[in-house]
Parts: sequence; structure tokens; C-alpha cells
Amino acid sequence: MLVLILLAPLLAALVIFALRRAPEVLALFAAALGLLGAAGQMFAVSSGVWSTAVLPFLPDMPIRLVATPLTAILSLVVATVATFVLLYAVGYMRHDPQRVRFFGTMLLFVTAMQGLVLSGDWITLLAAWELIGFASYLLIGFWHDRPGVAAAATRAFLYTRSADLGLYIGAFLLIGVAGTSEISTTLATTGTPALIAGLLLLVAAMGKSAQVPMQDWLQRAMAGPTPVSALLHSATLVAAGAILLIRTAPMLPAGALVVIGIVGGVTAVITGLIALAEKDLKRLLAASTSSQYGLMLVAIGAGAPIAALLHLISHAAIKSSLFIGAGVFQHDRDGTGMESLAGAGRARPGIFAGFALSALALAGIPPLAGFFSKDAVIAATLASPAALWLVPLALAATVLTGAYMGRALRILWAGAAADKTEPAPLMAAGLGALVVLAAVLALSFGPLERLLGVDMAEGGLLAPVLGLSAAISGLVLGWLITPARLLGPIFGFAQRGFVMFGGMDALVARPALAIAAACERLERWLYDLVLGFGRLNLSLGWLAQKIDTKGIDRPIFGLVRRTINTGTRARKLQSGFIHREMALAVIGMAVIVAVLLAAPLYS
Amino acid sequence: MGRDLFFLIPELTLAVTAMVMLVAEMLRLPRLVLTLGLVGLTTATLLTLSVLDANTTVFGGTYRIDMLSGWAKLILLPGTALALLLARAELAGQDREGSVYSLLCLITLGALMLAGSGDMMLLVLGVVLTGLGSFALVTFPRDDAATEAGMKYLVFGSVAGAVMIYGLSFWFGGTGSTLYSELGQLEGRPLIAAAGLVAVIVGLGYKAALVPFHFWAPDAYDGAPVSIAAYLSVITKIAAIFAFAQVLRDLPVSTGWPLAIALVAAATMTLGYVTALVQTNVVRLLAFSSIAQAGYFLLGIVALGVSPLALPAIIVFGAAYVAMNLGAFAVVMIAGRSLDDFAGFGRRRPVIGLAMVVFLLSLTGIPPLFGFVGKLYLFGAAIDAGFLWLVVIAILNSVLALGVYLRIIVAMYSRVEGQANTAPISRPLAVAIAITVIVTLAMGGFAGILPS
Repeated sequence: MLVLILLAPLLAALVIFALRRAPEVLALFAAALGLLGAAGQMFAVSSGVWSTAVLPFLPDMPIRLVATPLTAILSLVVATVATFVLLYAVGYMRHDPQRVRFFGTMLLFVTAMQGLVLSGDWITLLAAWELIGFASYLLIGFWHDRPGVAAAATRAFLYTRSADLGLYIGAFLLIGVAGTSEISTTLATTGTPALIAGLLLLVAAMGKSAQVPMQDWLQRAMAGPTPVSALLHSATLVAAGAILLIRTAPMLPAGALVVIGIVGGVTAVITGLIALAEKDLKRLLAASTSSQYGLMLVAIGAGAPIAALLHLISHAAIKSSLFIGAGVFQHDRDGTGMESLAGAGRARPGIFAGFALSALALAGIPPLAGFFSKDAVIAATLASPAALWLVPLALAATVLTGAYMGRALRILWAGAAADKTEPAPLMAAGLGALVVLAAVLALSFGPLERLLGVDMAEGGLLAPVLGLSAAISGLVLGWLITPARLLGPIFGFAQRGFVMFGGMDALVARPALAIAAACERLERWLYDLVLGFGRLNLSLGWLAQKIDTKGIDRPIFGLVRRTINTGTRARKLQSGFIHREMALAVIGMAVIVAVLLAAPLYS
Repeated sequence: MGRDLFFLIPELTLAVTAMVMLVAEMLRLPRLVLTLGLVGLTTATLLTLSVLDANTTVFGGTYRIDMLSGWAKLILLPGTALALLLARAELAGQDREGSVYSLLCLITLGALMLAGSGDMMLLVLGVVLTGLGSFALVTFPRDDAATEAGMKYLVFGSVAGAVMIYGLSFWFGGTGSTLYSELGQLEGRPLIAAAGLVAVIVGLGYKAALVPFHFWAPDAYDGAPVSIAAYLSVITKIAAIFAFAQVLRDLPVSTGWPLAIALVAAATMTLGYVTALVQTNVVRLLAFSSIAQAGYFLLGIVALGVSPLALPAIIVFGAAYVAMNLGAFAVVMIAGRSLDDFAGFGRRRPVIGLAMVVFLLSLTGIPPLFGFVGKLYLFGAAIDAGFLWLVVIAILNSVLALGVYLRIIVAMYSRVEGQANTAPISRPLAVAIAITVIVTLAMGGFAGILPS
């Protein structure tokens, strides 16, 4: 089963690249096989059979895949969403000449994601993590000929890769402490190493899950095709960060949990505000993704990783159906700007109904899935020791969720449905299936909790009442009041994506550029220094040369002088390039000598 | 004596091959020279397998037959064979073509001496032997650029060599022996230890193009034929790294060498990639990138003696580096030296373009390519040894690396209206690219057969 889940998409991708024809059929077939494998896996695990597969790789570091209830559930989620998104993509990409590349890369991505979800070993996880990043780079940059797309893809890759630093160091730290790279064993780590590793993993998760201050790349990544957004930014790429934390949650000490919760809460609110002020539907959805993952981090921080898992599952179905709906409207109106989409919903009542149902689910209206998972999150925050911080943040995020979804619905509905549209059966089928999932998924939560052996704390009536009232008030606000009035003075600020918190641009990119400039200055200064140092010698040399050329050469060997002037090679050598470089080498030697002589002081 | 010679069979095969090649060159038979070289290198590689598991020394401890020198042969000999193919593709039909092949084999002989040295005299011999041949190869085109580059290389080499020999004489004075195995006596005599160590860092650092002894490299690579640049960026560099490992294994840690090397590593990685970011000449870009890669090697060096991963890390990354760097240079031979030549290259030649993407991604360290495996080992070794800060710098630099290599990839797939320059690729070049791309792609998965 484990091998089937991974190999079906991988082989199909290779076959697609090799044959270069019929990519849709192959992709759907592989996705269906993978789904079958994941379902069988789930069935096996639920009847108590946990399995492990070990494939040889590096010495002492094999590829280890494990099927536990947690990994099996996640794998099933990934396989399900991937299947429906691919179904939808067949319709969406119908006219694209690059379908082979698209479906091949999508399947590679699915392979990497399944590898990440099922990995039982840090090295496997690292490799899958990097592969996901790379495949997403390819997918976001799929339309690399269009302006700005390549830059967006590169930015996404660079952001997440910088954050990977945390994963590398955290993983190696855990391996070093536990002496093995098996994840389940390393989770027994306690004390300071666990705290440090937890915070490092949080950094990695913040990058991948687009948490403040690294949220910016996700919105720009909307430059990719919509199926990519639906797959990557709902259940997979972005989920990797949350999955990492959910899986390592048993190890995380209280200190790390508090930080995780606060990062998540702040993200949930800030990106919620950004979503509310957004002028583009897909970018709104992207910001909302950051916000919802923020809520998951809140749940993890509150000590209830299972609540985070439930929200992750319901969000996966909801968000992919929202993206798919947005993609249909995008096809109709050739864009996702809010103004151009006005009334697009009225032209396609069926699609709009699906979109609206998902939107209500995301806002948290019963009996849709989002209500129950959000309820679980809020209940977890109420029970947490850091409730004072987390509850207001979670509730604010819920209000904002309602508000921006309400606003999106209103814009799609109000306005003239001018255009007549061609039917899109495949896209509608993918959307319909996901919407049904989004609606009824809650039925599975009970069995899932039992399977994971966790009994969610029943928070009484307080949590659902709080959550529901927040959601409804948000929806009403969003429907009735324009964001400019709702947000007041911070509207413009939010619209620019909170430049102050503006993520890496302010935190990393600009300092990096400044350091680069400083380096350049330093280098020039070094050259000048060396030059000044050697000026005496050089001027002596010049003097000698002058005497040579003026006093002797010119009167006697004018011809020779001209030869010297034209011999650029010789001049270049004499002009001191090597001298300068040698001098730099000597400075380097001096530094090394100093370090060595100081050895008794530190060793 | 007979026993010693038995262990030296691969080296002797190479030496005899190089001599016979010279004779064939005198007969003006370049194709025969090439064939002899390829056969000789292959034979020497196969013969190495019989002594791979040995762990001994020959000639009174001066030359080591151990894991490091054994794998050096397995990496450098096939690498040289690939370089011969590249040189054939670039220089075929030129005057003095055969002498290039025999010089390449002689330099590799010096490289093997460096990698197996157990004695300071052998170290000096290796540096000189690799140096002399390299100067000659860089000046092969005999034009202005090559002459200047060769001159620069020579001046740097002479100074570095002189400093190294001078410093080594301190070690000799301190221990009364030229054997590395006696270096333990320097424990507690920091001044003498430091004098020799600085000398070794200068001499080998120049050979491996470490900052701040790297200045010759970009000029030399750019002035030389591309195939020669490819060879120099790989074979002599790895030989110098392995020689570092041989020396520093025996030097007491209390002399403070790990920190000194770590600082050099940090400077090398950072300066290499930062400078590579602004290059528009792909050969110079690759030159700075190989300077940076040398810094990554040092992550394994600093962990010597502390982490059991250190030696495997150096060897695995060495093997990966040979394949991916030679491959990248080989593609440059097809595309051209300027970054503009790469515009639309991936569209004009999809297969070669894909190969270049593989090489560049492997240089960046993307799984499951070979370069990723090597870097994983190196990071693991350095963390084991407690150099976490160095690993942080290394990982930050691999973000920079991505920027460096993506510049080429992005250019390759930009849409350009251009002449469809699809002249057929010469066979040696195609073979070399095929081999390197297969190794880069597949060895990541079979890293289990490499030493651990």
C-alpha cells in the first residue's frame, strides 16, 4: 500500500514525460490508483494493522515510510484532494499546449507530498520537503513567459528555502540527541534540546505555511494556474508546515507551544485583515489560507494537535473547492480582480451555490465541516493555559473569516450577469465532489478521533456559541459594510500587506542587500587600504620608471617606449593587480595566524 | 619492496601510461595518445579495486594506501578520463593536442600523490607536479588572455609554494621528521605548529582555490580552454582537499586548526557565491561557484577526527562534485562562455538543457540528486563536530547558490528569437555529458555503496 501510494503518481509522471501524450488519462488513472492505495491504507490502519516500509538509501539512513493513523489520514486527504483537483485540471488546462509538463509536474508534486506525509524518518522527510519546494517552484512558475510569474516562483522558493534552515538544524539536532533518524524515536526528546528543536521546526513551518512575517510569498504564488493554487495552497504545500508541527507535537514543551500559538494567532488576524482589504479574489483566498493555517497553529499551541488536524482536513476540502470555483469565474471573466468579477456568480448559479456553500463552511456555519473543526479549535484555546492570549486571537480571526467571505460572496452576486457562459462539466464535477466533501466531512470527525485514540475535550456550549456568533457577525459585517469603512484607518495599510510586518522584504531581503552593499564597500576599502599601504613602494617604482622612460628611454629608445605603451599585457601586470591580490592573500594569512595564536585562549 | 610496489600498481600504471603517451605524441598520433590515456586510466581504476580495502602505508610511511587515497583514485582517475574526452572535443585537430592529454595524466599523478601523501616531502612534490603541468595547460591557447592568466597563476603558485616549503621546515624542525604521523609531537608547541599550519593552508588553499588565495582561479579558468578549466576546477581541487584531510588528521586539535579552517570555509563559501551572483561570464561564474564548493568541502575537514561521517562526507561530495562540475563545464563548451549565449539554450537543445538543469540543481543541493547527498553528509559531519554556526552559514549560502544557478536556468528557458544553432555535438562530448548526468542523477539513490 505504502509503495503504491508513492509509486503510482511517480511512475505515471515518468511515463507522461516519456510518452508526451495522453497526460490527462494517465494522471487521472495514477491519482485514482493512489487514492485507492491511500483508502486501503486507511482501512488497514483502522483495523489495527500499522505498517512500515524501509527502502535502502544512504547507509544507516534508509527511506522509511510508516502508516500510523495520523499519517494514513493525512495521506488519504492528500490523495483525495489531488484526485479531484486533477479532474478539474483536465477541464481547466484543456487548451494549454503545455499539458504534458503540467500533469507530469503535478504528479511529481503529489509523489513528494505523499513522501513527506508518510515519512518515518527525518532524512526522508528532509528530502521530500526539498522536493516539494522544488516542484512547487516549477508549478508556480508554470506560465513563466508571463510577466512577473518567474519572479513570483523564485520568491516563493527563496522564502521557503530560507526557512528550511530551521528544519535542517532542528532535524540534525534531534538526530544528534536521539542517535537515530527515526522520527518516532526522536520525539522522546525532552528538555532544552526539545525546546530549541521545536522553535527551529516552527521557523521551517512558518516558511512553508506562510505565517507572519513570511506570508508574502503565498499571495504572489497565485500567479500559477488555478489548479496549482487549489492543490498546493489548500492541502499540500502550505499544509506541510502544519503537518510538521502536528507530527512533532508530542515532543514540544510548553515554551515552544506558547510561541507557536502566538505566531499562529497573530498570523490569523493579520492575514485575515489583509484578505479583507484584498482586491483580487485569488489573492484573498491566499491570504485566507495563511489565516486558517494560523488558526491551526493556534490549536497546536493550545496543546490540541488533533483539533489542528481536523481543521486542516476540513480546510483542505473547503479551500480547494473555493479555489476551483474562483478558477471557473476566472475563465469566464479572464481575471480574478474583484471589479471584473462583479456579478460573475449570477451568471453561473450552480457554481456560485457550490462556492457559497464552501464559503459558509469556511466561515464556520453549522452543519458544515468548518463549523465543527473551528469549534474544536476554539474549545482547545479555551482549555489552554494561554487562553488569555489565544481566545481573543482565534475569535478575531473567526470574525474576519466571516467578513472576507461575506464580502467575496456579495461581490460575486451583486452586479450584472452580462455574459453567457459555456458549460464546464469537468470543472463542475471536481467542484461538486469537493463541495460535498466540505459539507459532510464533519461526519467523519468522530470516527477519526476514535481512530487516533483521542477524546476531544467537550467545551460545553461556550465554544460553539462563541464561534457561531463570531462567524455570523463577520458574515453580516462583510456583506453589509465595505472593507474601507470596516477597517477605517488601517485599510490602506492592510491593502499593502502590512508593509511594516512586510515579511522577508523588510526582514531579510533588504538587510541582505544592505550587507551586500557593505561588503562591496568593504572590498573597495580593502583595495584602497592595500593601495595606500603600497603607495610608497609604488611611487618609488613609478619614479624609477619615470627616470627610466624620461631620462633614458625617450631620448634614446623612443621606439621601446612605444612598444611598452602598446604592450597592454605587460602594463596590466605592472599595474599591480597581482600585487594587490597578493597583499590580500597576506592579510588573510595574518588573520589565520592570529586565530591560531589565540588557540590557547579558546581550546 | 615488492609489497610496496604491489600497492602502488594503480599509480605505476598511470605513470607508465603518461610516459607511453608522450612517446606517441612524439610520433604525432593524437588519437593514439587519447586512446592510450583512456585505456590506461580505465585499467588503473580497475586495478584500484583490488587495493581499496587496504589500510596501510608504503615506503616507510611516506605514502598512504587507505580509504581516502583509494577513493581518491576511484574518483580522480575516471574524472581525468572524462576530462580527456572534453579536451578531445575542444582541441581536436590542434597542434600540440596530444601533449595536453599526457600532461593531464601527469597532473593526475601528482594529484594522487597529494591525496595519498603521508609525508611533507610528498606533499611538496604533489603541489609542484600538479602546479607545473597546470601552468602549461592554462597557457595552451598562447593568446594574451591565456598568457596573462598563466602568468598570474605561476606567480601565485610560486609564492604559495615558497611559503609552504618555508613553513613546513618549521614542522620538520619541531618533530625531527617529515612524516605526518609524527605531527602529534607538536602538542603544546603552538608557535611551531602555527607556522607550519599557515604554510599548509596557504599552499593547499591556493591549490584548492580557497579564499583569500583564490584570486588566480577566475582568470586562469577564463583564459584557459574550457575543458582545461573544467579539469582544474575538479581534479586538482579535490586532490588538495584530500591532502588537507591527510595532514590535518594527524595534527593535534589543540593547535586550533579546526577554527581556522572553519573561518576559511565560511569566507570561501560566502565570497564565492556573492561574487558569482554578479558574473555575466558563465566560466567565471562557475569558477566562483567552484570556489564556494571548496568551502563546503571544508565542512568535512573541520569534523576530522571528531565525526565518523567526516571522511565519507568528503569522499561522497568529492564524487558528486566531479560529476556535476565536469558536466556543467561540458555544457558550457556547447553553449558558449557568455550568459547571453545561454538565452533560450534550453529551448534550442532540450536534452542538453535538461542535463544542465540537473547539474545546476545538483550543485545547489536539491534532492534526490548526488550533490544533495554529499551536502547532507557534510552538514551532518560538521554538526557532529559542533560547528553548528558554520552549517548555518553553509545553508544560508545554499540559498544564495540557488540564486546563482537559477540565473543560468532562467536564461536557458527565456523566450528568444534566435538562430537555431543545432550543430551536431561531437561524440566525446556527448559521451562525457551522458556519463556525468547519469552519475549525478542515479548515484544519489545508490549512495549506499559508497563508504560509510
